[in-house]
Amino acid sequence: MEDITKIPQITLNLFGLNVVLNTETIIMTWIVMASLILFAYLATRRISFSPNPFQVVAELIVNAFYGLTKDALDEEMARKYFPLICSLFMFLLLSNWLGIIPILHEPTKDLNTPLGLGIMGFFIAHYSGIKAKGFKKYAKEYCEPIFVMMPLNIIGELAKVISISFRLFGNIMGGAIIILVVSHLVYSLVLPPFMICFFGLFIGTIQAFVFTMLTLVYISVQVK
Amino acid sequence: MEISGPDFIKGMAFLGAGIAMGLGAIGPGVGEGFAAGKACEAIGKNPNEAGLLTRTMLVGQAVSESTGIYSLVVALLLLFVV
Amino acid sequence: MFDPTTLLNASAFMGAALAIGFGAIGAALGEGYTAGIANEALSNKPESSGDVIKNMLVGQAISESAAIFSLVVAIVLLFSRPSTVVTITSWAAIGAGLSMGLSAIGSGVGSGMPAGTACMGIVRQPGNSSKIITTMLIGSAVCQTPAIFGMVIAFLLLFIDFSHVPLYPGWAAMLGAGLATGLAAIGSGVGNGFTSGEAVSGIARQPETTTETTRVMLIGLSVGQSTAIYGFLVSLLLLFYGFEENTNLSSSMRLLGAGLSSGFGGIGPGIGLGLASAYAVRWVARRREEVGNLVRTMLVGMAVTESTAIYALIVSLLLIVVF
Repeated sequence: MEDITKIPQITLNLFGLNVVLNTETIIMTWIVMASLILFAYLATRRISFSPNPFQVVAELIVNAFYGLTKDALDEEMARKYFPLICSLFMFLLLSNWLGIIPILHEPTKDLNTPLGLGIMGFFIAHYSGIKAKGFKKYAKEYCEPIFVMMPLNIIGELAKVISISFRLFGNIMGGAIIILVVSHLVYSLVLPPFMICFFGLFIGTIQAFVFTMLTLVYISVQVK
Repeated sequence: MEISGPDFIKGMAFLGAGIAMGLGAIGPGVGEGFAAGKACEAIGKNPNEAGLLTRTMLVGQAVSESTGIYSLVVALLLLFVV
Repeated sequence: MFDPTTLLNASAFMGAALAIGFGAIGAALGEGYTAGIANEALSNKPESSGDVIKNMLVGQAISESAAIFSLVVAIVLLFSRPSTVVTITSWAAIGAGLSMGLSAIGSGVGSGMPAGTACMGIVRQPGNSSKIITTMLIGSAVCQTPAIFGMVIAFLLLFIDFSHVPLYPGWAAMLGAGLATGLAAIGSGVGNGFTSGEAVSGIARQPETTTETTRVMLIGLSVGQSTAIYGFLVSLLLLFYGFEENTNLSSSMRLLGAGLSSGFGGIGPGIGLGLASAYAVRWVARRREEVGNLVRTMLVGMAVTESTAIYALIVSLLLIVVF
């Protein structure tokens, strides 16, 4: 049990820099990517009015998230940002669910994945904000309501990135840890499947949704 | 641990800075949150006055913040000056 | 003074006591609140006792989960011993107990609130039961997140081999890590409880606003957990930042101070953020067309409320990194 926190890594030496790769996380992310691409191919192979099951699921997700995106942004911006939001949700959903399958691990269990997605969301939101409002108006917003609030506003923006990333990481890693420890305590009888359902499926879905919604809200706050 | 006079003072100063800022953050947190909540309620009742209500909320929160700022000042004094 | 194994046994028992002792508080309070509101609901309409009692028990079960995490940590502390035992492992055991125990207080109380308002809502509007129960389950489950953070820190403290960390100031780092997440999770848990409670009662009154109310509830819950996340961040820093050996009192006290600053500093803002989003959710349910306005005001208000938590985070970071 003491190797809960050991992360399989390999260290390469490229161009004189030490490059560290977390092999397990990378392989699991590739599995998620391959599954999503396969799902997309199967869903759109023959788009018809009597759809196959994959197309039904795809239409469900796309409709739900297009509605949410349109609520937060206006029509033409919703079209622009919608593919990002929907793919973010699908990637996170499948990543959080991957832990249910016995040998596989969630790629979001490693801090790098949520932090990377959070930083990406941060840059997209602020880049859209600057493009939509112009740099002067964007910079002036940091001085509201009083000029002395500026350092606090800047730190607040950085704190947003930390909070969404660590929330996702803490929830998923916590779920994985407690499943491991309790299974060890009860010798893997009866209890583990219920916990896997609760922590893996239920909390995984909610956290994927929350991450996506918060990224959308941050983009919409910057753009409006 | 070997404890000498000046070291003891510095140790207590650090501990004091942590406690000062920590406990001092409790009050403004609850108070400003309550103000924000009531502002949302007021906007729900009367959405046309959103500008005025938001401004009043920010003014009220700034006043509530003052004790938090006192704690921050004392904490920074303990860290850097004493 | 004593050899490391004796110290570890003594402190592990103390840690187990702290874990289950504090952990029992929150769940009991929350479940009691649920039972009270359920009774009040039943007094209005005794015939629906079957549904109300069933719902009350489900809600109380989710509140209980925080206490069950504490029990798991306590049992691990009582019976499991790591392979390498040095003096600092004893401090890690106490830190683990504090972290899990304190963080379960907030989540227990918080998860009890939506369960209570759900019972009241089922009695008043039995036709909307399914939506009420779904929202209650979602809200209560997200309320458990601060306890999950506390549990992650507790397990990190229990299972990582800290023998390479020097005893001074390492002892304060272990204790500070436990306190930072444990205390900060109290405020977030209670605040999240306010938000979910209002969301459930709003959906009970106006079920056609379910999508917007649930969305704003989730946003409010997540931003309300920021203070617990700052405490989590400070705990992780205290655990993994390489401190050099330093037998001065000041060096240990600064780490303890850092833990206390982020720990206590998360309580008030956590409750305040919860209050802000609770009122916002209540009015989204009543006036769904004002969602944009309400969410914007809520986020602005919450950003200002968080400021003292950010001051506390800055003081913690100063103490850890600069001094």
